[in-house]
Amino acid sequence: MSATLTLGLRSLREALRQPDALFMTMFIPIFFLVVNTGQAAEVFPSSSTGFLEGQGYGAFQLPITLLLAASFGMAALFLVEEIEGGYFDKLRAMPIPRSSMVMGRLVAEAVKGLVLSSVIVLLSLPFGITIASGPIGFVLLILLSTLWGVVYAGFMQLIALKTRSAAATNSGGLIFFPLLFLTPNFVPRDMLAKPMEVAATLNPVTYLMEALRSLILTDLDWGKILPGFAVVAVLGAIMLALNVRMIKTYD
Amino acid sequence: MNRAVAAVRAEGLVKHYEGGDGTVEAVRGVDLEVRRGEIFGFLGPNGAGKSTTVKMLTTLLTITAGRAEVMGTDVAQDPDAVRRCIGVALQEAGLDPRQTGRELLTLHGRLFGFGKAEAAARAQELLELVGLEEAADRVTKGYSGGMQRRLDLAAALVHEPEVLFLDEPTTGLDPASRLTVWDEVRRINGRGTTVFLTTQYLEEADQLCDRLAIIDDGRIVREGTPESLKAELSERRGEEVSLDDVFLDATGRTRDRAAGEVQEVGA
Repeated sequence: MSATLTLGLRSLREALRQPDALFMTMFIPIFFLVVNTGQAAEVFPSSSTGFLEGQGYGAFQLPITLLLAASFGMAALFLVEEIEGGYFDKLRAMPIPRSSMVMGRLVAEAVKGLVLSSVIVLLSLPFGITIASGPIGFVLLILLSTLWGVVYAGFMQLIALKTRSAAATNSGGLIFFPLLFLTPNFVPRDMLAKPMEVAATLNPVTYLMEALRSLILTDLDWGKILPGFAVVAVLGAIMLALNVRMIKTYD
Repeated sequence: MNRAVAAVRAEGLVKHYEGGDGTVEAVRGVDLEVRRGEIFGFLGPNGAGKSTTVKMLTTLLTITAGRAEVMGTDVAQDPDAVRRCIGVALQEAGLDPRQTGRELLTLHGRLFGFGKAEAAARAQELLELVGLEEAADRVTKGYSGGMQRRLDLAAALVHEPEVLFLDEPTTGLDPASRLTVWDEVRRINGRGTTVFLTTQYLEEADQLCDRLAIIDDGRIVREGTPESLKAELSERRGEEVSLDDVFLDATGRTRDRAAGEVQEVGA
């Protein structure tokens, strides 16, 4: 078994032994889904709101819930704890590929992401949300959410490796967090005020959100879906290159 | 120097760090040789460069200048080959707090390329060796300091390394745990493993080490067997001396200044 897979399995076991962290990863995004939908559903009734494509406002909010859940990964915090505790050096003293030390955690994040995204989407179905793009769309929805979780966790790991401090890693996460909200998360992009529309257009997370939303609200619309996958592909490639470079030069 | 028998050799080893206040010269040109099969003690006050030297020898830190070999392999040129023949237990017992002792040892076996059954068998063997069978299936977070040290030692032995680096393995342990670690070190060495041991405890070096080197301010200031170092100083002073006196003489410290840097603690 490769070192990456072996370390990935260890990270999964680690996550399962911290169920409170998994609970918060689920609870906060679902809390936002309920609150945001509750606050705005009356303003945007499905019968007279074209951009809802006949669904309730909860369906429009589901993408931000998925993105939030995917962005609450604990990989970086577990990594920095390992650095501070000295176990990371123990791993570095072994004849394993340097990249496996960061990739193992990302493999575990991918598995967690698949499970959490599936649970969130399945939990939303009884509340009238349907995946208009069908079973293929469902798979793409889960896959895209998961890939975003891996990319986000990878960038957080970079902060952990650079700062080697739990406090700095936590604070560093706040730099990325606004990107999730500089998006058309309450209304479509063309309904945003001009400065916000410009900011959202420049924000790559917007294309991810629009891809997820199109999978929920409409049939397969590749014009919306492909930019979402392109964003995770480009950011993922950058994240992987930086992680591998960082771990190889780690001193 | 006899190149054929050296387990560890360093020549002009230098480590500089770039800090906010400019360049810090942590190690300023260390030359040393550790023979195969011996217990080599590496002593020095806090901040003398002991841990930095160990980290360079174990591939954990890059080398600014000079060169180092472990079992004939250049540390900078082929770090993975060096990693295959060394075991490392660093100053803090670095353990994964969410794994059990058994899981941790099995994981290390797997990472060293053992099959599933082989890794499990090796883990069991090591748990028995360090007396942790009863605690084997508890997460390491709940282990006492002594248990953590023993497990850390076991983890360093998973692949039966030819050279074992122990960086202050008994710091912070109670006397009973310290004695247990000493026994383990002797037993491991008795099986033919070379041990490179850094310590702040002069009594420990006197008890365990075949030869030792004293480092101060990033440079080796004395090297030899404990007996030869004591004999040399005794002859100079014309009186009986201890290893403590050798240390103080070598580092230019007084007993007052050394307090808190090196401790004269017996087991």
